[in-house]
Amino acid sequence: MNTRVVGATLFVKLMSVYREKTTMFFTLAFPIILILVFGTIFMGKDNVNFQLYVQDLDQSKTSATSVETLGESGKFRIIRVDPAADVTQYIRDNKVDLVLVIPKGFEVAFMQRTVLRDYKASVNITYIYDPSSSTVSTKMEILNGVLAGINLEMSRMPPFLRSAEQSILNKKYKFIEFFIPGIIAMAVMTLSLFGTVNLNTELRQKGIIRKLSTTPITRTEWILSDILYQFIIAVVSTTAMLLVSYAVFDVNLHLNAWLPAFILLNDFAFVGIGMILTRFVKEAQSAAAAANAISFPMMFLSGSFFPIELMPGFLQTLAKTLPLYYVNEGLRAAMIFDDNLAALRASAVIGTFAAVVFILGIIATKWEEG
Amino acid sequence: MTRANDYAIEVENLTKRYGGVLAVDDISFTVKIGEVFALLGPNGAGKTTAVEIIDTIRTPTSGKVSILGMDVSKKKYDIVRRIGVLPQGFSSFDRITVRETLQYYARLYRGRNTDIDRLIELVNLKDKSKEQYRNLSGGLRQRLGIALALVHDPEVVFLDEPTTGLDPRARHEVWEVLQGLKEEGKTVLLTTHYMEEAELLADTVAIISRGKIIAMGSPGELIETNANYQILTLRSADEKVFEIVRKLGFEPVLYNSDKIKIRVEHTEGVQQILSAIKEGGASYLGLDVRKPNLEEVFLKLTGEALHDGHIGEEGSA
Repeated sequence: MNTRVVGATLFVKLMSVYREKTTMFFTLAFPIILILVFGTIFMGKDNVNFQLYVQDLDQSKTSATSVETLGESGKFRIIRVDPAADVTQYIRDNKVDLVLVIPKGFEVAFMQRTVLRDYKASVNITYIYDPSSSTVSTKMEILNGVLAGINLEMSRMPPFLRSAEQSILNKKYKFIEFFIPGIIAMAVMTLSLFGTVNLNTELRQKGIIRKLSTTPITRTEWILSDILYQFIIAVVSTTAMLLVSYAVFDVNLHLNAWLPAFILLNDFAFVGIGMILTRFVKEAQSAAAAANAISFPMMFLSGSFFPIELMPGFLQTLAKTLPLYYVNEGLRAAMIFDDNLAALRASAVIGTFAAVVFILGIIATKWEEG
Repeated sequence: MTRANDYAIEVENLTKRYGGVLAVDDISFTVKIGEVFALLGPNGAGKTTAVEIIDTIRTPTSGKVSILGMDVSKKKYDIVRRIGVLPQGFSSFDRITVRETLQYYARLYRGRNTDIDRLIELVNLKDKSKEQYRNLSGGLRQRLGIALALVHDPEVVFLDEPTTGLDPRARHEVWEVLQGLKEEGKTVLLTTHYMEEAELLADTVAIISRGKIIAMGSPGELIETNANYQILTLRSADEKVFEIVRKLGFEPVLYNSDKIKIRVEHTEGVQQILSAIKEGGASYLGLDVRKPNLEEVFLKLTGEALHDGHIGEEGSA
């Protein structure tokens, strides 16, 4: 292997992308768009704030105060529904998933209970809901919790079971901070895999590979230059993603040597897979389809976007066979939990995988034609 | 450097089969050091398949190929350092300049001291050295391709259809470069379907048809052996001329309002025709007598035209 050959090939690849401004732009824009989109989606999860539609049929001072109390719990933003409205129709017309209805006679019952101490006096708060909404049950459970709290308060008895929260982390993390490592892992995978497949099928279709096959460049030199090229692209993209994360979402993560290490291992693994794909898929279009077939399951099953604990058992087992899972685990261990041992374990798994795939990639790469 | 003999290329019983199709059918030939050898044949004759096996791009089904005494199937890595290849449909990195491309390929040959400027001058690309590949015209691209094939000063150069798809001017510019190579004494294996190209550049021509070599020799020998006659062309001749020629027992190979073309075995035949026309009071505006070319040799040997283009018979008539 000759490092000058690798360097010269790397230079040609870098200049090609640098001089092609659109590719350059999208290479940088893609991860930034990802981080902005996911950042915005996950930002809301830090302070869950549902909209709560309330129809107050009682229109009394007490009912008004109770609705305000609901709003003050911090869980809901109250939107009032006209007492004259037909709630079922209102739900359909306004694409609302839940309306809480305070019945007529709420104040009377409340007075009976609090002033006259009539413990049999109670009111039914009705939840009118659309069961097709995915969040409605969560909303109702939270609402039940709030109502239970109000009931408890009215009974004036101190609670027996209390709860205290203690995080395993020293620092309180924002929801998005848990996702940044996953997005970095996914972006580096996508760039490496698609970059390799697109570049190599294009060069093959143009006949450049045929010309190269008549020169002394070896397959190892070619693939190493690919890995270095994709690594530089990945580092630039990751830097862009982190800058945006810090600037827009004010995140705070542990940045250490593990980050470039995992980017490199991720890159090795997926450039290797890309080279194997390029060998078996001849046309550029089908190569992109094959790359999609690999990257999509990887993206959704390996815990980049949501914790694998949400998935059924067999999918969790499957997830643990995916290389990207270990990149995710390793990066989270390094960037959030500051757990070197866990990062080391993950790096061992992905490192072994990368080495195997890299060697297979070299074997699979074929310069000669049939 | 040891060499068993004076041959740069030795091909023995080379065969390439794709499924049931024989692309190359048991061909054998040798190319001496310093010789320019052309494989001439129509599209699909098997020229490119043959040359791509010889220059290590493809693998043969059977047969043996040696370059500079080394077996191509065993010594690829040693061979590629000593050969330069312009593959068919050559292409390069779109956004890399002429100079950078040459520097890159020079680097692939492990950084011998390559004189990039001399190469750029050789292929006449001085004005374009800072131009990116994508901005070059077809002729300029081919010239860059030839320069790349020479970047490490190889002993044997393979040029697979170096002028296909070029306009006549660009083709002549490439020929000038190739004649320069010939003068430098390089061994060149050339494939082409332009007989002018083969005639102009090659010391030896092998005519290939349907995967087989059907004739081989110097252009002069091939013509002498296979087409020992002259061609008389009469322009803007009137109908009487046609009658007179036929009465003399000659069958025109071409007759239209523009010209009559007659194949004549001996020079006396030409005189005989011209006097008969004069005596018969017929007229024509111009005449041309010439020896046949490789196109006609090819036609005679295979019964098929070398290519659909007009170069050859019509172009040189």
